[in-house]
Amino acid sequence: MSEVVTFTKSYRFSAGHRLYIKGLSDEENFRIFDSCSNSAGHGHDYYLEVKVAGGIDSVTGRVISPEELDRAVTPVIEELDYKRLDIEVPYFRDRQPTGEHITEYIWNCLEPRIPCKLVHLRLSETESSYFEYFQEEECPYER
Amino acid sequence: MGYRKLLTKKMEFSASHRYWNPEWSEEKNREIFGKSAGPYGHGHNYCLELTVEGEVDPETGMIINLDDLKTIMKEVLEDFDHKHLNEDNARFKDLVPTTENIARVLWEIFEDRLEGSEKYRLYRVRLHETRDMYVDYWRDGQ
Repeated sequence: MSEVVTFTKSYRFSAGHRLYIKGLSDEENFRIFDSCSNSAGHGHDYYLEVKVAGGIDSVTGRVISPEELDRAVTPVIEELDYKRLDIEVPYFRDRQPTGEHITEYIWNCLEPRIPCKLVHLRLSETESSYFEYFQEEECPYER
Repeated sequence: MGYRKLLTKKMEFSASHRYWNPEWSEEKNREIFGKSAGPYGHGHNYCLELTVEGEVDPETGMIINLDDLKTIMKEVLEDFDHKHLNEDNARFKDLVPTTENIARVLWEIFEDRLEGSEKYRLYRVRLHETRDMYVDYWRDGQ
């Protein structure tokens, strides 16, 4: 019998973005992205849940210390917080700053920084929409 | 193709704990556990989400009677609610009462309490320590 233990901690950041395909007219962009393509951009309070997995350390009783996770996550979030993503964060200069791409960006930044196994990200953009990102073989960690 | 049917009941409890390894110096405990090593402990409003998997009984329409589950959860959580886990709960006499370890202990207790039914089984323990932090625990391959 094997046990599965995951630890999840949430973080917040606020960022602005505009969804816009450069080769298309404003009308065509509006047809695809609606008000998300408005010329001056807009922003959200993002809520990020970072889930890691590992054994419970027999001495500390933990999978990871929350402070250790903070040290890995906070600098990544700092790069996004209070930024206009498509202008100020190079990754989004040639990608739409959608929730899908933001989770992918955060995963790529976080994975090498986390001392145990990153297994799942959930990014809430509003109360009514969120995005998830994980490797398929890690599905067993999400139950 | 089969469908998985789950039922989850939430219950809060408030408990105090201290992260402390008696084999370490005060300094090392502070270094590893930070504020959580304070001598008198501190508390949280924990929220337990207990998820049960099973078949829906055709007569009652239930996987498990929620009232029965509520009764079991209340009984179990009596040993946790308004307790100092290190001092008042024997399970943590030699075990640091981290959220991970509390989740593991709760799994073991609830697995025992729900044992014996062919219709349902414990599926997941999710324990929120604060609004921003939770631990999931389950065992596979019975």
